[in-house]
Amino acid sequence: MPQFKIAAVLALAIILQLSLREAWPPLSHIDFPLIVVVYVALQRDAWTALIVGTIAGLAIDAPSGGLIGAGGFSKTLTAYLIYLAATRINLENALIRIPVLAAAAVVDGAIYFFWQRSLGHAPSAPFVQTISYNLIGTTVIGTFILYMLDSVFNPTSSQRRQFASRRRGARRSKGLTKRR
Amino acid sequence: MAASRTQKEIRQRAPIWLVILLFANFVVMAIDARDRFTQQQAFKGFVQAMVSPIQSASSWASGTSGGFFRQITSFRSTAIENEALKQRLAETELELRNAREAKTENYRLQGLLALKAEPGPEKVFARVIARDASVWFNTIMINRGSASGVALNMPVVTPGGIVGRVVAVSPVTAQVMLITDEKAAAGAIIGQLGGSGALGSVRGLGNSGLIEMRYVSGLQQVEAGDYILTTGQDGIYPPGLNVGEVIEVKHGTATQPHQIYIRPSARLDQLSEVAVLLYHPPQRPAPEQTLPNVDKTKVTSDK
Repeated sequence: MPQFKIAAVLALAIILQLSLREAWPPLSHIDFPLIVVVYVALQRDAWTALIVGTIAGLAIDAPSGGLIGAGGFSKTLTAYLIYLAATRINLENALIRIPVLAAAAVVDGAIYFFWQRSLGHAPSAPFVQTISYNLIGTTVIGTFILYMLDSVFNPTSSQRRQFASRRRGARRSKGLTKRR
Repeated sequence: MAASRTQKEIRQRAPIWLVILLFANFVVMAIDARDRFTQQQAFKGFVQAMVSPIQSASSWASGTSGGFFRQITSFRSTAIENEALKQRLAETELELRNAREAKTENYRLQGLLALKAEPGPEKVFARVIARDASVWFNTIMINRGSASGVALNMPVVTPGGIVGRVVAVSPVTAQVMLITDEKAAAGAIIGQLGGSGALGSVRGLGNSGLIEMRYVSGLQQVEAGDYILTTGQDGIYPPGLNVGEVIEVKHGTATQPHQIYIRPSARLDQLSEVAVLLYHPPQRPAPEQTLPNVDKTKVTSDK
């Protein structure tokens, strides 16, 4: 996977995360850097996934009111857990990626909250409500973004999907002519 | 073969990298937590100075995206009209929007000028460059830091009233905790200073955007519409600053305090320019540490 493309996508995700809240505050519930972290971890490249997780977390921690490092910790661990799952189970299917994104949002939020609270800086936002909104926002938008990232990083996979749909169409029409 | 071996090595070493990175993050967290405890904020200030260019870029991007969303809204409203009218309407709307923005900015800057002319502590004017990127805290970032004289715990205000206090400073930026954050608080009084207003303490209510006033006796007369001012007893805000207006009172009894909800008078959701008051609260005399019944002359002679 080309490293510069990942860096560019990660930078874009961080800028979006920093700026969209000002455009419309509920958009901050979409964790764009986490979506990129999940995508990279799903590619089964452990080193890149861990580095992307750390950089994404620290970049969001720096301008936030929380402790620096809490987001880095949670995103690094989330990236590794997804990498582990991806090396054991086939997560290529777009439908399976939906629960992976949802789980990532919950795990990331829970670890972040745990560290903030443990080190005496409990966030002011209510835990369950914030995690729920994050889960919905990140999962819904993340599913589409993962699909887009797939076509950016791996154009052959989208071609493969197109061929598969054509094959399915061809099989269906073949079946119809046989029945006639 | 070589490639597969590399992949295998990567897979084997991944847990080690994970532990190293997690440990590094933990060390950063621990340093930051200790800095907050000792109120030094040196580490956070350094990191914030490093990322301030990215924040300025994101602030520019948000302005652009905000304009984009506004344009979408205006397109939708004009889509139902015919083509010629649509064009004229769009032109008129654009002019009107520009005029309104100019008028609003004019009011805002006039307010800031009036604030500058007001007697009291010296002021440093700053622009809001970012809001908290996470959803967990209520903070903003401004483009003035220790190089401009900004220091920890300095109050931040607008012509409308108090905004919050500085919680982290780098040479070129500062982080401000809004008064609506659940951890923010200030000493407050209902009505005019020196009048018969009730004293209490205001505290943020998080994302609701409201403030609660506590410890006001249930016997005091408080009504919606009363205004709240700072008392200066908290050692952060100078006395007499506007906090907000009472919007709801759940009346207490002789033994129960009132529950008072306040809308902040500063427009915290639309902050663009603020002023940092270079205010140093008066030093309080240290309380006498000796025990009341000890013969002080004896203690002195023993020394």
